[in-house]
Amino acid sequence: MIRFNNVSKTYPGGFLALKQVSFTIAPGEMAFLTGHSGAGKSTLLKLMSMMEKPSVGSIEINGTELSSIKYQQIPYVRRGIGMIFQNHNLLMDRTVFDNVALPLIIEGYSHKETRKRVEGALEKVHLSSKLKCFPYMLSGGEQQRVGIARAIVNKPPILLADEPTGNLDPKLSLDIIRLFEDFNDMGVSVLIATHDLGLIARMKYRTLTLKQGHMITDGIVDGLQTLGDVDGN
Amino acid sequence: METNHTRQSKSQLAWTGRVTAYFIRHLQQAIGSLGDLWRTPFTSVMTVLVLGISLTLPATLHLFVKNTQTVTEQWNSASEITLFLKLSTSDKSAQNFVQRVQLYPEVDNVVYISAEQALSEFKLISGFGQALEYLDNNPLPATVLVTPMKRFSQVQAARELLVKLEKEREVDQGKLDLEWLTRLEAMSELIEDIVLGIALLLCLSVVLIIGNTIRLAILNQKDAIAVMKLVGATDSFIQRPFLYAGIWYGVLGGLIAGICVAILANYFSIALVQLTDLYQSQFVLAGLSFAEFLFLQLIAIALGLLGSFISVRQHIRAIEPTAD
Repeated sequence: MIRFNNVSKTYPGGFLALKQVSFTIAPGEMAFLTGHSGAGKSTLLKLMSMMEKPSVGSIEINGTELSSIKYQQIPYVRRGIGMIFQNHNLLMDRTVFDNVALPLIIEGYSHKETRKRVEGALEKVHLSSKLKCFPYMLSGGEQQRVGIARAIVNKPPILLADEPTGNLDPKLSLDIIRLFEDFNDMGVSVLIATHDLGLIARMKYRTLTLKQGHMITDGIVDGLQTLGDVDGN
Repeated sequence: METNHTRQSKSQLAWTGRVTAYFIRHLQQAIGSLGDLWRTPFTSVMTVLVLGISLTLPATLHLFVKNTQTVTEQWNSASEITLFLKLSTSDKSAQNFVQRVQLYPEVDNVVYISAEQALSEFKLISGFGQALEYLDNNPLPATVLVTPMKRFSQVQAARELLVKLEKEREVDQGKLDLEWLTRLEAMSELIEDIVLGIALLLCLSVVLIIGNTIRLAILNQKDAIAVMKLVGATDSFIQRPFLYAGIWYGVLGGLIAGICVAILANYFSIALVQLTDLYQSQFVLAGLSFAEFLFLQLIAIALGLLGSFISVRQHIRAIEPTAD
């Protein structure tokens, strides 16, 4: 579960990136996060992944209050969040297997269990044949799926995706979103930050919209035109 | 604090499986860090050589001190106590005294030189033979040369024996010529202090060099470290390969130092054999013993580990993941 309670974030220099944002993503819920550049999407994701600390308010992830968390506790909370990035954040000098296995190695899983889980995760993203490949040998879509496999391999209760379809064609984008739906069906909470208003309109999931740091809508957005209005286009 | 998810996933892992996995991961990280050194041969070789050569100097100086001590011990053991008997001591009393001294447990050998023998020897050596003929009485005392047993030939023990012998009624004065030995010992101690000082400075430089090498390795893997942190790696997990790298630097640097010391000892030994042959001496230069070699290895490993530890503590925490 993700809970934001009156969260504000001011960066050094006085820039107010988020203003009193409150929302809750329940266990097993799937939602989109949208807004134009500078709306505060990245700040919100950074707060959830503990790259930043809130200036005001409280954030709760999987039952842990983040504002009072100690540095040493951060990795353990992060293990409960699968994070997917637009630029994939893969280790280029390691094989697909090693990249996907990383969270399991960190958590101390046995070699046998690691292999089983990695193979299972890669099968879900249809990359079983690329086990021994290095990321630079894969296409952008394949790299994105490796990132997804790494995010889900340790079965986290939350998935956060930052522009997961940003560089992909519409068909691949839809395939990726279908994957998220599959994980969501298994009870994983999914929050996808995206600019792709068409995708949001097609999927009809709850959408959190940010504008200049404010949460301006929270609900199922009906139709592309409505989203366009929200985005100010 | 761990999340419910973490606790749940951890409980899923069998205890023995986790322990085995822990050691396997350590082994993998240790071997992996050796592989990282292999992949950056120039930096690795340079660091190992710097460490090895830095340790070679104090280790070689230690050998010098050790061999000097061996030599001075040999000289110590040849030390003699000279006892000048009172002029009033008769020849018979002197013989009795010699017999008594020979019974001392500390004494190895006693040589008695009567006053007459001493005078005739002096006549021969001094060249005042005829002049001495005009003396009414022999001014020289009878002399006893005492050689202590080996275990009583050290400076302190020999001094104690001298004091004991001087208390004998026949003895007028005793003499133990140890001044030069005391000076030699003082010089040896000074060299030891210098060696210690140089060793400490070189050890400090080794720590700094390894720390800097590890710092560069950390910065080189900054992106990978950020990704690891994002997927839940603790600092201790991330720093482990770098600590192993420090240990490998120590192991290899220690080996280089050991080899260099052996080569230098062999080189000096050849020169010393030529020198000692001239003095018909049997001195053999001692190299590092196995225990000393192990100690050198331990020191090298400890320095490597310390350098890398300081570096990882300072730099790994500073690397934070970004969303870019």
